[in-house]
Amino acid sequence: MSARAVGALVTNGFREARRNRVTVVLVAFAVAMLSSSILVTQVTVRTLDRVVVDFGLGVMALILSFLAIFLSTGLVSREIERKTIFLTLGKPLGRTSFLLGRLGGNLLTLLVLEAAMVALYLAQLALLRTPFTQPQAMALIGLFFEVSLLTTVGILCSATLSQTVAAVTTTGVFFLGHLSGDLYRLVRTSDDAVLRFAGKAAYYVLPNLERVNFRLMAAHNQPVPLSTVLSGVGATVAYSVALFIIASWIFERRDFK
Amino acid sequence: MSESTPIEIRGLSKVYRTGFTQARKVQALSGLDLTLQPGTVYGLLGPNGAGKSTTIKITMGLVQASAGTALIFGRPPSDPRSREKLGFVPENPAPYEYLTGREFMEMSAALVGLSPAEGRARSSELLEQLDLQRAERLLIRKYSKGMVQRVALAQALLGRPRLLILDEPTSGLDPVGRSQIRDLIAAERARGTTILFCTHIISDVEAVCDRVGVLVRGQLVREGTVSELVSSQTSVLEISIEGVGLERLTEAMGKPLQARVAADGRLLVQVEVADRERFLGIVLQRGGRVLSLQGARFSLEDLFHQALSEDASRREAA
Repeated sequence: MSARAVGALVTNGFREARRNRVTVVLVAFAVAMLSSSILVTQVTVRTLDRVVVDFGLGVMALILSFLAIFLSTGLVSREIERKTIFLTLGKPLGRTSFLLGRLGGNLLTLLVLEAAMVALYLAQLALLRTPFTQPQAMALIGLFFEVSLLTTVGILCSATLSQTVAAVTTTGVFFLGHLSGDLYRLVRTSDDAVLRFAGKAAYYVLPNLERVNFRLMAAHNQPVPLSTVLSGVGATVAYSVALFIIASWIFERRDFK
Repeated sequence: MSESTPIEIRGLSKVYRTGFTQARKVQALSGLDLTLQPGTVYGLLGPNGAGKSTTIKITMGLVQASAGTALIFGRPPSDPRSREKLGFVPENPAPYEYLTGREFMEMSAALVGLSPAEGRARSSELLEQLDLQRAERLLIRKYSKGMVQRVALAQALLGRPRLLILDEPTSGLDPVGRSQIRDLIAAERARGTTILFCTHIISDVEAVCDRVGVLVRGQLVREGTVSELVSSQTSVLEISIEGVGLERLTEAMGKPLQARVAADGRLLVQVEVADRERFLGIVLQRGGRVLSLQGARFSLEDLFHQALSEDASRREAA
């Protein structure tokens, strides 16, 4: 595996996203939304800090999740559809390296976008004299790992399905990933053994995105224990690595007609 | 299985499975054997659907063979090192259109393993060689088809390959574009690069290839040098003479001769190869002069059509 080749693909992926109109429009939208939270604070009386934090983190999570789904689900399928993959794989580059480079490009894009949004968010906090607290920092770290996991789901789907189907599936995983804990709690009380088993199976198979979602704690300014963050991040990274290995295994065996 | 042999294919077969249940089978290649010797330009000819692109895709590791082996410099296509000395231009190449020509070249250079400085220098050299230096800052989505083809060829040459695989490189190009690509192939051949040139444009094959293989329905039905293939089909010679009339020649030969008079007055007579010595003796005995002698034109195109009709007859008989 050549680090130079993977690096070139990472840079290229970042450049592709930067020149994509959808990314530009969404970033503009995020800037507008974050800025408008100042207006939202006008209608609040005593919970200004909570609204600013809740609204700011919520907008970032929404935009970054959408971008992660949009960018990742087209990564491989679009290359296959447009046949750009033929020129890239015609080089002395393994398919897993290709996938790794494309994943890296997407993660770099999301990291840069999140950093830009965080800068805007911090400026807003400073303007409104709202303190930046430990739970907010943990929420921002958790958010990056959440969208990273979504990206890996998107790449797995993209390596096997068309872009539209991949996008629908990844969006489904996004919602289920946030609801799997609730669903599990709900079916655990059921009398139906099959339903209980299905709920338990879904809980263990699907990613639990709530493990790295500390936004509610940040809004209520509840400290997030470091152990909770580390276990959440560890589980998310492990899940992402497992998905990447599956994606790579499938991708290595695909025919590009 | 020599490392010096650019391409060695043995018993290669490919069955594509299609349809929702993948139950329908399409045999794209059946037991193909093919060896490319270093320094040759090999033209793989065949109609659409003959298996040319499948052969190339298996060789490039883009498609997996159902049976048989393909080796590039002694390595299987699944090994990325098999592509270290290889340049590839697929059919209708699609470079990343959101990049400029230079960005695409420099990214490709990194994929080939060149350092950033080497990549920049080699990109400049090739962009100039392929007459793209004025468009190097332009997004590829604004390139014409000929420019896209040239930038695809330029990226294939970045690593100074010892083997070039070109799938329909002149397809859809105007005569100037085709001529440029042919010149470039000729220049690479002069450098000693082995080239697998896949096309259905016969005149291109005649112009640049040393050896030719005709692929029909996944099988190699003819193989040899262009002259071998054409001359093996030539049983008639066209002899250009002057100073003796057709009547006297016909009388001396004792059988009718096919002939025509050229614009400059020369007599062009068609003679069976078996009658060649006797005919030339008669011309000289009667005070005539022989100006030229060549095989009657049986083009690669005729050969190609013959191969196709033979295949059709075989299928009808079966």
